[in-house]
This record gives sequence, C-alpha cells and structure tokens, in this order.
Amino acid sequence: MAARRTRRPCVPISVLLAGLVACRGPAPTVVDDGQWTMPGRDYSASRFSGLAEITAANAKNLRPTWSFSTGVLGGHEGQPLVVGSTMYVVTPYPNVLYAFDLTKEGYPLRWKYRPYVDPQAIGQACCDIVNRGAFYADGKIIFNLLDGHTVAVDTANGRELWKTKIADLDAGETTPMAPLVVKDRVIVGNAGGENGVRGWVKGLDLSTGAIVWTGYSIGPDAEVLASPATFKPFYQKDQELALTSWPTDGWKHGGAPVWGWLSYDPELDLVYYGTGNPGPWNTEQRPGDNRWSTSVLARNPGDGTLRWAYQFTPADNWDYDSTQEMILTELTLNGRQRKVLVHFDKNGFVYTLDRATGELLSAEPYVPVNWARRIDLKTGRPEVDSTKLTGASRGTVKDICPSLEGGKNQQPSAWSPATQLFYLSTSNMCMDYTSFKASYLAGTPYLSAGAPYNVGPGGNLGAFIAWDPVKATRAWEIKEAYPVWSGVLATGGGVVFYGTLDGWFKAVDAKTGAVLWKFKVGSGVIGNPISFRGPDGRQYVAVYAGFGGDWLLLSGDVRSDDPADVRPPASFMPDIARHTSQGGIVWVFGLD
Amino acid sequence: MGVWTGLIGRRETVDARRPALSVAVLLVCCASSAASQTAPPSIRYDQHVPVAGNQPPASTLKNPFKGDSVVAAQGSTLFEGFNCGGCHGGVVGAVGPSLADGRWRYGGSDGALFMSIFYGRARGMPAFGGTLPAESIWRLVTYLQSFQPPDSTISTTSWK
Repeated sequence: MAARRTRRPCVPISVLLAGLVACRGPAPTVVDDGQWTMPGRDYSASRFSGLAEITAANAKNLRPTWSFSTGVLGGHEGQPLVVGSTMYVVTPYPNVLYAFDLTKEGYPLRWKYRPYVDPQAIGQACCDIVNRGAFYADGKIIFNLLDGHTVAVDTANGRELWKTKIADLDAGETTPMAPLVVKDRVIVGNAGGENGVRGWVKGLDLSTGAIVWTGYSIGPDAEVLASPATFKPFYQKDQELALTSWPTDGWKHGGAPVWGWLSYDPELDLVYYGTGNPGPWNTEQRPGDNRWSTSVLARNPGDGTLRWAYQFTPADNWDYDSTQEMILTELTLNGRQRKVLVHFDKNGFVYTLDRATGELLSAEPYVPVNWARRIDLKTGRPEVDSTKLTGASRGTVKDICPSLEGGKNQQPSAWSPATQLFYLSTSNMCMDYTSFKASYLAGTPYLSAGAPYNVGPGGNLGAFIAWDPVKATRAWEIKEAYPVWSGVLATGGGVVFYGTLDGWFKAVDAKTGAVLWKFKVGSGVIGNPISFRGPDGRQYVAVYAGFGGDWLLLSGDVRSDDPADVRPPASFMPDIARHTSQGGIVWVFGLD
Repeated sequence: MGVWTGLIGRRETVDARRPALSVAVLLVCCASSAASQTAPPSIRYDQHVPVAGNQPPASTLKNPFKGDSVVAAQGSTLFEGFNCGGCHGGVVGAVGPSLADGRWRYGGSDGALFMSIFYGRARGMPAFGGTLPAESIWRLVTYLQSFQPPDSTISTTSWK
C-alpha cells in the first residue's frame, strides 16, 4: 500500500477560476490565460486547463467548430499550441508547421513553414514518423525535425531563425520528442533505443541554437555530467555508476534515449525526464544494472549538471522504457508536505518520488503486473519474479505483464488539482518474450527479440482510468476494446478528454467517469487534447486525429497509400482496420 | 558512371554455383573490412548513404541462385544476422514494408531486389553494398523470392 497521505487543504484562488486551487504544484501560471504554450500546458506537465465554460452539465452540447487536414498520414502524436490568437500545429514527418489565425472565420493560415527533412528518417524512426510537439518561447516556435535537427521559427512571419543538427541519423538517431525551454536553454533528446544509439539530452542556446552542453544517459561520469560534488542520488551513491553497471563498452551502444516528455521545477531549478530501454533487448549481452537506462534524471538546465537519478527497472529485461511524463505536484505524506514527482512507468508501477532528493516515497501497480512483486522502498529496487526474467538462453518466456507497450506508453497523463486525481490512458496486454543474440551494425536495429502480445486480464486491450494517489487505486475506469494511446486533458469545468484508437474523441465527467459526449473524428486518436480560450472569449478543445505510432506497425492493414505494403491483421487485435485507417486532422470543439 | 562499372564488373566475377560457404563463415567474412574493399567507392556503408539517382538499370541483373532452397535458407540466416528482421517485422512488415505480400515498392525483379539491398532506398533502407558481397545479397534475394506469393488481396473478412 501507499504511504498514508493526507491532502493539503486546497483553497480556491478565485470563483472566476474554478478548478485552480492553491495546493497546486509549482506551475508558474497562476491565472489561466487561456493559452497552451508548451506541450504539458505548464512546467509541471499537469495538462490541466483552468478554463471552466465546458462543464459536466453542458458537455453534451459540444460540437465540432473547425477542422483541418494536415495533408500528412503519419501518426499524429503531440498537441497543438495556442499563443495569443494563433494556433500552431506541427505534423509528423515531414514536420510541416502551420500557424492558424484564430481571429478570422475558418482559421486561415497566417503562414506555413516547410523544412527539408531527410527521408532516411522514415526508416530510422522505430515506431512511425511521429512528432510530439513544439514549445513556444521568446517569439519563437521551437521543435525537432525527425532527421535530427532542432529549429526555431519566428512567430511573426514563419521564417526560420536557426536550425541546429543535434543527432546523427546515420547512427540510427531520430528526434521525435518535444523540446523544453527553460530561460535561455532549449533542452532536446534523441530516440533510437532499438538501434544501439547512446542516449543524451542537449542544452541549446535559445537565441542562436548553439549546443551549450551534452549530458549522456550512460557512460563515464564526465560525459553523464555527474560530478561527485553535485551528483547526489538517494540510493546508489558510488561514482561512475553509469560506467560500472555495464560490460566493457556496452554503454557505447546501450540505448537509454530520451524521446518522451520533460518537466521543470523553477524553485529547485531542476529539469526532469525519463530515459528509454537499454540495448540490445537480449539482457544477457549487457550484465549489470545498465544505469541510467529506464531511469528518471534531474539536471540543472543551465549547464546540464546531473543532480540525482533513480532507476525504475534495473537491468531491464522487457523493454520497459521510462520516458513517460514526470508530473510535478505537492502532497502531504505521513504528515509531511513533500514536493513530489509522479510517474506512471511502462513497467506498470506508478512511482512517487521526492523531487528534491530522488527518494522513493511510494510505488504501486496501476495495471496488472507480474514481472515484479513489489518495489522495496528502502532500497528503491524491484523484487523481481525470476520466472519472468528473459534472455537468449531462456527461450520464450510466456505471459509477462504488462507487455512491452507498457501499462502506458508515450501518451501523457493529466493531473487535476480540483479532483486530486490523475487521468491516464492505459493498455492491458501481456506478452511472450523471446530474445536472441544481437549484432551491432550502425543504423540498423540492435534488437533481436520478438514479443507477441496477448490480451490482459478482463479481455479489454485498454482502459481510460482515474487514479487516486491517496488510496493508490483506480477511482473509476472506462474499459476500451483497444489500447488507449491518446494523451489526456483535464479542465476546470470538471470534464476530462481523451481519444481512442478506433477514432472516438470523448468527454468524461472527471468525478464519475460517465461519458458525457463522443464524436468520431475520422481516424484513431494518439494525440493529446488541449484547451484554449478563443479570441471570442469562448472555451475550445483541440485534438489531432491520425492513427499510427506503435500501432501503425502492429495493427494490420491500416494504411491505404502504399499499394506495395499490405499486411495481415494482428492476432491480438484483428479488427482495428475495420474502424480506422491513417489520417491527419486537427479538430476544434466548442459549445453552441 | 563509376558506380555502374563497379557493379557490373562485380556481378560478372560472381561464380554463381561455387560451393556455398557455411553461413558462419559468410558472417565472419562480411563483418570484416575486407568485404568493403570490393564495394564501389561511392557506397559509404558506415554512414548508410544511399546513392539515389545514380544506379544502373536493374533489368540487366539476374539472380544466379534463383529457386535454390539451400541458398534461400542461407539467406534467411543472413536476414537475421544483418538485422533485416528488426525493421521488416520478420518479413511481414513493421517500420519497413512487408516483404511477404508479393508486392514491391521499388520493383520485384531480381535486379530491383538486389539494388534495394545494395544501394539502399531513400525512405530509410540502409545500403548494404559496402558490407555484404554481391553473393550474399543474392542469397538474401533468393530468400525473399522463396515465399509463396499470397493472394493478390487480403480478404477483409479475416479482420474479425
């Protein structure tokens, strides 16, 4: 069970700002200005909008007010931004940036930015050609091109202000993640954990794009930026942890990429992010804990200094990346108020850590888990079921839960300070895992494993859930036929929004889980809804439709644009192609 | 034109029916730098740069092993050893397209398949010409050609 917690009293700041309460985490925004300027809405990654015009009582009157085809068929992860009276949309490869004028009927384009993106990236990106979004700062829209570049575009006219090569496409690195901007640093990371890359984050200068620092996830302390004077992990305190927990040179192609979400605490001046799986998937080729793969890292944004780290899945045997979002809030635990970081890991546990020190405060399963019995709060280590360990010598290890798609994956959760609940999209699958000896060949998969999925307990492949961090249990759940792959929006009106793989966008009562409204958006939803106040003063909700991501690879015949590529249906999900194909549409919804 | 000459020259030197090397020997030989000495100079395998727009016509190339099931089996081992399955989902498609559906994005003739592996393709298929000798590429082609072609369309009644 979780440590006993009592809630800090929450005091409404203003009647006009229903849902915004004083116990909220370190979000810098006190008054909801109706914008959405960064991927997670705020530095805490809450994905909570204080806007409250849309309520549980009137959500049934939602209707589409606008839509726009992006002209791109890749999976539309990520989310639009709204800054002032402009909405910005970044597409999957080839990473077109649209700027829509919200003041005019039909939201015509103010401008459009079309970068050149190397098509080699299509084949190097592991899991479709996704982009997880842009960040607004200092009059610039900043985002990553899939082929290993970061660009800054002038919001005034759509002109490119700078373009920096950050990653090596030829080595299998791609860059689907959304940057985080803190003061004058743009922080970016790489993907390619299936290609034997070495994970890193880089800090770029906001005004010029110049790379100021690089902090690797794995390897020598000097390159991980872990100086003994400043690196103070709560558990393992030895030096050269990231070097000694690998076989000789194993870290050079050991993965631990950074393709997910970043958050930031301005008071502690720490940026938090998770690292991906170690490589190759055959764990017997990398004896050791493989730090800092599958970990959360806390760095100072200015110079990249690593302050602490915590590893969720030592010696990962199951492709349990930890790149999911780190949500920052405050909780009172055992009578003591803590600044915490909450993380729903692919491995099926939800972790609460003290974000100043990296101390683990609780870890509870939020989906069916059988690879570990529990997480030991004293050591921070999982108590692993040895019958679920994998490796080339172990043949096929059956019925491991969750599957390598995770209890959840890239789709970011939301935290509502109003209901004190987390809302998240989950998968309910287990897997049979077989790995082989892998050979490293630059720019090809360093993988050598197969892991077919089976439906998990209950027979539904996914669920949308509300998680109570005090009771460490589901407050409610909505079972879904397919894995739920969209992010979540929570709002001050007591309505939460998510979408499904088969193409429904839904509004749900935040307290009860009752579905208030739904609309078929034309393609499966794997993007993240946002809310904004339009120039007309009304509240709107925007989301992408656009099936893809991991499911482009695994769902059978969901594409129609390539006559030379037809696929049989997936055994565990044979009928998804009856409900969706690829697409790329931006939707906006509002009340009559 | 250097690429042209190099490739044609190489093809002519391949002894199609010389006794097959064991797969283990093939893997060792191919992973060494010796193999790259025979590659045309414009192939930079280490950086996986495909040579778009400067390729010889594929129609002139014929698979010397066509239909040889022993060679197809060797090709299968090469397929896994050189990480092809990691992108192509085994052969049924993942990041890369399906290789088992009897349909080919860049053409399914002997020569087109050879070219796709040797030079790579612009949408992310790496060029293996600098690492694998032509003979090994033909073994891979033989493997890919060994699948029973499925029906030209997949019945959607199986989607339930």
